[in-house]
Amino acid sequence: MIDFHTHPALIQELRAQYPSYERSAREVFQIGNTFQPLETFFLEMDVAGIERAVLLPIACRRARKGDVSSNEQVAELARKSRRFVGFASVDPLEKGAARELEAAVTKLHLKGLKLDPALQDFSPGDRKAFAVYEAAEALGIPLVIHTGMSWAPGTALERGHPLHLENAIRRFPKLRFVLAHFAWPWVWEAAALALKYPNVYLDTACLYYDSPKEFFQFVFSKQIPTSLIERSLRNKIVFGSNYPRVEIKNMAAAVRSLHLTEGCLQKIFKENAERLLGM
Amino acid sequence: MNCPYTGFPMIIKLQRLKLQTRKSEEAINITASVEEVVRKSGVKNGLVNILTTHTSSGLLVTEGIPCLEEDILTHFARLFPEDQDYHHRRYLDYDGRLGFNADAHLKSVIGGISCTFPIENGEIVKGSRQTIYFMEYDGPLERTYLVQVLGE
Repeated sequence: MIDFHTHPALIQELRAQYPSYERSAREVFQIGNTFQPLETFFLEMDVAGIERAVLLPIACRRARKGDVSSNEQVAELARKSRRFVGFASVDPLEKGAARELEAAVTKLHLKGLKLDPALQDFSPGDRKAFAVYEAAEALGIPLVIHTGMSWAPGTALERGHPLHLENAIRRFPKLRFVLAHFAWPWVWEAAALALKYPNVYLDTACLYYDSPKEFFQFVFSKQIPTSLIERSLRNKIVFGSNYPRVEIKNMAAAVRSLHLTEGCLQKIFKENAERLLGM
Repeated sequence: MNCPYTGFPMIIKLQRLKLQTRKSEEAINITASVEEVVRKSGVKNGLVNILTTHTSSGLLVTEGIPCLEEDILTHFARLFPEDQDYHHRRYLDYDGRLGFNADAHLKSVIGGISCTFPIENGEIVKGSRQTIYFMEYDGPLERTYLVQVLGE
């Protein structure tokens, strides 16, 4: 079982080591929870039945004056435990971003790319970002990209519309795009992209109101039918929690509360992620 | 400062103790840790107050046996089921996340967050069956609880 969407933003050991880490958590990522030891992260995974977690940094120092975890910090955590799969993040508008990504993959052994057009303040359809997509495609790594609403103040809602990605999706057919947060509220558009394009995947890390179970019951049975997931998108969805914004255990329970078959849940929690990660 | 009745110096010591909880919900016996703080404080006669610093955890006193630990958690869950229509299910801008653990908060409210015991001759005075529990209602998390000893 794999959680494809976590942020190592509240880890005590990193706070003790890096002076700017706490400011980034509070002022850039804007999360108010207490910093926790790494052990809590592993216990949280254990309670949820999750074996491995993808760690996502966000390189947003140009737009927000600070990264939400760095590639080096993520690589350090991935070296500490095989339960972590580290991804890299680069700023597509910065010179040398493609080279930086290549170094993160070849030298830091990071396994994927994370982008957040809202926090990083770039348009995902902007051709200036294409060099980074091209590099990720050449490296054969998946891209987790924020789509849908972002809570971060000062960010434009429209940046998260998944159709902004369609040109890139067509232009880079071998780059696997994982649209984070199921692009809520644009779940139909996200579902359509995943239906139409073989290189588009979706993660379940969406929670914008109510409890995870209530939200999932509405989005995945009333906003779009559950049968769409069960029958047509079962190979295109990965479980993501968005921890520590939400506890992994609650998001996992919400996915399990949907009326999906065991076979479909197995794909969402495990097989699709393993395929994306080449495991 | 000296005690106005005995003339002995007053001692007030506050200790912050960390605790790593390992489950969503659990009852953790902290009696020995509290007794150790009292012993090391040097207070011979006075009071010890124990307080959790979290609103989704609690402190309570009961007989220290596993069946009661299980009953407390089971019946708190019956009183405050997870799937109820709570108002506390919304975005909390000061936290940057959704709040949806009303059941844990309500268990904390009903079960209490502190307890107090007298100290006599350097030892906590309590019934032989009484056990002090840190109650986790929304773990696993690293938690903090306070032990304040005051006396002479």
